[in-house]
Amino acid sequence: MYRVQDEVNLLRASLSGEVEAWGEIVSRYKEAIFGLCVGFLRNHPDAEDISHDTFIRAYENLHRYHMEKRFSTWIFTIASNLCRNRLRYRRRHPIVPLPVQMEGGCSPAITIAQEDRQAQIRQGLSRLPYRYRAPITLRYYNDLSYHQIARILSLPEGTIKTHIHRGKALLRQEIGKMEVVNHA
Amino acid sequence: MHKDDLEKLLRDTLQQEVSKERHYLDGLEKTIVAELTGRLPRRGWLQTLTQLFAQMQRSHRRQLAVIGITAVIFLFLGIFISERLPLFRGLFSAYDKQHTTTITADSDGGQLLFVMPAPGAQTVAVVGSFNDWKPTLLTDEDEDGIWLTNLSLAPGRYEYAFVVDGRWWGQDPLADEYVRSFGGYNSVRYVGYTGDNI
Repeated sequence: MYRVQDEVNLLRASLSGEVEAWGEIVSRYKEAIFGLCVGFLRNHPDAEDISHDTFIRAYENLHRYHMEKRFSTWIFTIASNLCRNRLRYRRRHPIVPLPVQMEGGCSPAITIAQEDRQAQIRQGLSRLPYRYRAPITLRYYNDLSYHQIARILSLPEGTIKTHIHRGKALLRQEIGKMEVVNHA
Repeated sequence: MHKDDLEKLLRDTLQQEVSKERHYLDGLEKTIVAELTGRLPRRGWLQTLTQLFAQMQRSHRRQLAVIGITAVIFLFLGIFISERLPLFRGLFSAYDKQHTTTITADSDGGQLLFVMPAPGAQTVAVVGSFNDWKPTLLTDEDEDGIWLTNLSLAPGRYEYAFVVDGRWWGQDPLADEYVRSFGGYNSVRYVGYTGDNI
């Protein structure tokens, strides 16, 4: 029903209380938001929670969104702030990791040996500090410009460029280390 | 690793990670729609007022306008009365409250203390309607630069000013009010009244 309508109409309809219109917005953005949350949090259940909360929070505060601005930047900002809050919470309430055997894997060394490059990237991303991981996710998963990333994370554009550059350098280092372990 | 390889790898990894975990997103829109059904987005106060006003019938808008105008008239009338009637004076403004306190404290028993800070001055006098504008000298016995004198006065309203080494000082910080006189200011104090009686 709403497929042919443009985003602004959907948002106007949502603002007047048509939740189906908001449902269409959710289906358009859910993957982007979930990807952002996965990239930021490196934890799928948390990412699912935050994706859900982002859409609820965005709907409740839709009157604060200016129609002439880009909606994606606005909703990504909400998601990014919620992720940051969740990370702060996780620092105080860390998840106890399950033992490797319970996850159905074997010893860590064998697991690493079986991992491909993408697994190395995933591990590397998990070890990256948040300040590097967040802009890298927005850049390489959400395909955003430096300008948009700067607005979402409330940082200067130059800082974003530096963080992405340093993040990638750190990631290369991490992957290098893992390769050494694998070859050993 | 080449720069472009890493960027491509990052894109592919993140996209694959999300597509593998896509089951988390199944039915998210339905859940959210169900959760939000019957709920409206919050509104700013301006939007709420505008909408309420827009929804009103014309006759109701007129009634609201009449109520608003009447309220404003009563507000101004209240302020006017509070300034004019002694009974209400001091009820509405903190300034008036301070004002009242000062008068009461200074005027007990018809004694009026005149104080003038004038460090280094040779002579300080007070002139006013209570001494036919003839100087009454203030003293600074402890030589701390604060000149003072205490006068017994009958209840009434008195205009006065200080004369410090021949210069006119018409605005005493302890005065109850000021009046313009001959292009300058004179201070006024009341003796024998409480604030409510002024």
